[in-house]
Amino acid sequence: MSVLDRLQFYLMHFMPYPDVVPGRPQGQWVDIPNAHFDPVKGHKLYKEYLDELALGDELGFDALVVNEHHSTFYSLMPSCSIVAGALIARTRRAKICVFGTPITLTYPHRLAEEYAMLDVMSGGRLECAFPLGTGMEYWVNPLNPSNARERFRESMEVLMQAWTQPGPTRFDGEFYHYKYLNPFPLPYQKPHPKIYIVGSGTEDTVQYAAEKGFGYSQVFTPVAAQLKSFENYRNTTMKHGHTPDSESIIISCIPYVAETEAKAVEEARDHILFYFKNLLRTSDQMNTPPGYLPVERLRKRLEAGVFQSSEITWEALTSVYRTVLGTPDQVAERIAFWCEQAQSSKIVVHLHAGDMPHWKAVKNITLFAEEVIPRLRRKLSPALKAAE
Amino acid sequence: MRFQTSDITVDGVRVQVLEAGQGKPLVYFHGAGASRGFDELLPLAGKRRLIVPIHPGFGGSDDDLRINAVLDYVVHYATMFDQLGLHDPVDLVGHSLGGWIASLFAIFQGHRVRRLTLACPAGLRVPEHPGADLFMIPPDKLPSTLVASQVVLAKMTSGEVTVDMKVARYREMTSLARVIWERNYDPKLDRWLKRVVAPTLILWGEQDRVLPVQQAARWVERLGSKAETATFDGVGHLVFIETPGAIERVESFLNGGG
Repeated sequence: MSVLDRLQFYLMHFMPYPDVVPGRPQGQWVDIPNAHFDPVKGHKLYKEYLDELALGDELGFDALVVNEHHSTFYSLMPSCSIVAGALIARTRRAKICVFGTPITLTYPHRLAEEYAMLDVMSGGRLECAFPLGTGMEYWVNPLNPSNARERFRESMEVLMQAWTQPGPTRFDGEFYHYKYLNPFPLPYQKPHPKIYIVGSGTEDTVQYAAEKGFGYSQVFTPVAAQLKSFENYRNTTMKHGHTPDSESIIISCIPYVAETEAKAVEEARDHILFYFKNLLRTSDQMNTPPGYLPVERLRKRLEAGVFQSSEITWEALTSVYRTVLGTPDQVAERIAFWCEQAQSSKIVVHLHAGDMPHWKAVKNITLFAEEVIPRLRRKLSPALKAAE
Repeated sequence: MRFQTSDITVDGVRVQVLEAGQGKPLVYFHGAGASRGFDELLPLAGKRRLIVPIHPGFGGSDDDLRINAVLDYVVHYATMFDQLGLHDPVDLVGHSLGGWIASLFAIFQGHRVRRLTLACPAGLRVPEHPGADLFMIPPDKLPSTLVASQVVLAKMTSGEVTVDMKVARYREMTSLARVIWERNYDPKLDRWLKRVVAPTLILWGEQDRVLPVQQAARWVERLGSKAETATFDGVGHLVFIETPGAIERVESFLNGGG
């Protein structure tokens, strides 16, 4: 059976605040003066962004995805649970995905409670992903990057114990101590909602996800590096007696659909470039607080020149990330290729990018749902076609 | 005169110890960077046994991941003093992070300290004059933050910043983050300082951009009449490197002069 026979489309939104502050080589994070925030503008953006996601539910996307960042124009979601709560009230069928709160930024039992609430409120529509958080989050939260990985794993232990062992239970860790771990409510789905670990390719994160039987998703990193992580994930999964399936690996892409390829490029290219040039931009210092990376991994990155920030070009960007601008046929073709290449049946689509205006996002979401998804659903893999 | 370097194992972790000279022991606790060496201290070894242990997680010493509080360094040094046979009171000098460790050592191991020197020590909460965020300073901006003396600065910035240097600094900043990321002071130190009984000298560069010289007054206030202060004009955070006057002042303090 091909991954294309059970494709699932995850509509994701970053909810950026696009009025970026110019002349900041360090980007729009951490020490960005928040006096530049206009609440009236913010109100309008929340409405548009929630409308875009709710439209995705109406038009048949399998899931709506939100995530979380702090003190940055990159995202208007310092709490993805709040946005998820709003989405639950406005949607009926799509899964709601919190991809998600870095569990170390809050108390693990509290996240267990909040996510359980969302799962019960939505009648079991929740999926959750657990990121370590970008390096930038550590400067603006009272959280030590030098023991981030240890704290992350212990926090996950607390959450899993809270969700899977009848409470009250006791927990004695290095970071947390609970005499009465007893969350209420508990998740709607049993034993718990689908869990993914979000990584950036660090080998031990991939292995951790595979060992624990969690799914794995990799954030913006070059495709070749992602494919390597996925292979590593599948091998480790099998070593631990789990069966790797195409639903445990999520890939992501930035498509824009229009009547012609030229029109797609004209309407979308600058907004996508804006995202990479302005919103994703950060400084080496902010991106790698001390201890966030193992020292030897930092050395590899320095030697590979990862930190030498050069001007981002469209050509360079599209050669390492999954981006496609074109007609429904072109977009469908490309997505089929990516899913087969990664052996993943779950694809996150970013249909709003950067400073894209509402009308373009609505157009893109509508065309993707009405023209691209049906094409992909009808598409069979070459192997199945041959068998027919 | 030069340092002799040896390795010793403390609580299972290999650490480097620099020693020079002979006589009464003087122990120096360094700050959060050990890559430049400590040759500027050698004049102190003229009539003494100068001992510069390198903290776990810094310079040529191995990491000890169990150390995640400044007090853990105090426990580490109490053990190391036993191993080095330092049973009688020693003269103790601490710079920056090392000043914080030295002050806690004097509080909890007071019987082991004869005279205490704190050079621009970290550790006190002084909200009106807070310390800089050392972690946010990129490697190429570090020298000009640490040093006020233009002569010293020119020497420090002459070479290229290599990958090895960046990695070494990231490792030391990681070790520092383990103990002070959450806050670069301990609110309790303010109350605990009254337990220091040794006569104490506070040294500070007047142009210190890491820990402002105004913090000196707070140390003196908490330590009371056993403390005296000396500040140096035109000098930044690396007092001993930036002016020979700092070493001379320590020398006269240890010899009992004012």
